[in-house]
Amino acid sequence: MNASLDRPVEANGLGKRFGAVTAIDRLSLHLERGEALGLLGPNGAGKSTALAMLMGLRAPDTGEVRLFGHRPASAAARAMMGVTPQAAGFPEQLTPREVLAYASARRAERVPFDDVVAAFGLAPLIDRRMAGFSGGEVRRVALALAFLGRPGLVFLDEPTAGLDAEAQQAFRAIARDYVVEGGALVLTSHHWDEIEAVCDRITMIDKGRKVMDGTLADIRARMQARRISFALPEGQRPPDWLQAARHGDHWHIESDDSDACLRRMVEEGIGFSGLTIEPLALQDIIARIRPEERP
Amino acid sequence: MTARQLVAELRLVLRVLLRQPGFWVPTVLFPAMLYAFFGAGLAGTGPAAGYAMASFAIYAVLGVGFYQFGVTVAQDRADPFIRWQRLLPGSAVAPWVARVAAGIGFSAVAMALVLLLGKVLGGVVLSDAGAWLRLVAIALMAALPATLMGTALGSLASERAAAPLANLVFLPLAYLGGLWMPPQLLPETVAAISVWTPTRAMGELAWAALDGRSLPERYLAVLAVWTAIAALITWLAQTRQSKVDFG
Repeated sequence: MNASLDRPVEANGLGKRFGAVTAIDRLSLHLERGEALGLLGPNGAGKSTALAMLMGLRAPDTGEVRLFGHRPASAAARAMMGVTPQAAGFPEQLTPREVLAYASARRAERVPFDDVVAAFGLAPLIDRRMAGFSGGEVRRVALALAFLGRPGLVFLDEPTAGLDAEAQQAFRAIARDYVVEGGALVLTSHHWDEIEAVCDRITMIDKGRKVMDGTLADIRARMQARRISFALPEGQRPPDWLQAARHGDHWHIESDDSDACLRRMVEEGIGFSGLTIEPLALQDIIARIRPEERP
Repeated sequence: MTARQLVAELRLVLRVLLRQPGFWVPTVLFPAMLYAFFGAGLAGTGPAAGYAMASFAIYAVLGVGFYQFGVTVAQDRADPFIRWQRLLPGSAVAPWVARVAAGIGFSAVAMALVLLLGKVLGGVVLSDAGAWLRLVAIALMAALPATLMGTALGSLASERAAAPLANLVFLPLAYLGGLWMPPQLLPETVAAISVWTPTRAMGELAWAALDGRSLPERYLAVLAVWTAIAALITWLAQTRQSKVDFG
């Protein structure tokens, strides 16, 4: 079998219009086993539409999607993927145990759910009706359902919206374990640190088009930028060539060659103190790359 | 569709419904209550009492199948849980089968209450035990076209419009069909319309079953045509909807 046919996600030339609006334009995506892809983009960029086409909730106008070589929404594809219901999507008369047992019964072989219950800390909630659940509790049930039975491919749309910090950490660990063990994960998120912690690759979409695509390692390597931060004595201003910006009592510089920059600062005898040099956060790297890549 | 999935679907549907007594108690009690207030008293005793009870048995089945089903079909379209269910492994038909089965189950309970009241309160005496069985069989059979018609309405109506619209169709249909009063008592113009309604057809079949007559072909045909129309509307609406949802 052709390797690409066997891929968890293989999407080529996807296009989708709603009336006169082009929601997605010639979008191609692929995902290997043991890989996590972060789908990024501003609100309204087309992330949800793209995800809906990948999962099989929407049919593309052009192009096609294959999940492990199967058509999305086909029985074969559904048997291999895990999805969360949207938040607030549970009948409130049910308990997490009942919903998990139901989802388990829909698989060809009944799967135990002790592992996901433990992983997402559901034990104290397991027999309570979901009517009184907080947003975070509902979200944990939804995540448990996505990973139930360790499907080969998991789709997560804003998985940690409403989760507290502890639950977010737990989620990252579980998601990483899942990917390391060969699972394939597609994730949309607003949390950059979450994308950095979980994903191997990112695809950035804007106005329905792919505007950036690459592994996180590549993106970081392409961008050697560092942020230099320092304080100056009262009343002193940094020279113009530094293009420093004031943040509280510190000055910030984003520099592609922090070594050269620093040498010149020393040569010119600038009286800085409290110096730190850090790699740029992913969010800032992308903000710097994108204007350069625009035609 | 595996038996295991079907059992799981049924448990899910029944749990959600049974844990909402505010939903099922009125649904199940309403036809019996109407029968107690208007049907049993007005019909008096004698053969008319049996006909009235049969009419309200049909009304009970129709109420659950048509009204409740119609409303929930419209609500489910926007339900994220239902959307999630569609992405799960296994048969996509099984959830549907389970819901129809649950609907028929609730119909049966609503009907049983009417029959019980008929026997206890209305003093209905039927010719033989077979008459009760024939009536139950016809009423349950009517649940299928009723459910299909409800589905057709629910597929067309928006979430908010479904309940009022179902009332607007269902209540006049019950009246036109002669389920609330014997068709002989309907005004002439209404009687002329009555013979073409699905409710009248269901009623005529139930009354024939009660008497042990062979089922009138004309009304079997009327009901078959209505069922086919409902199936067609459902199919068209679902196709259109899946273009909106999936397209």
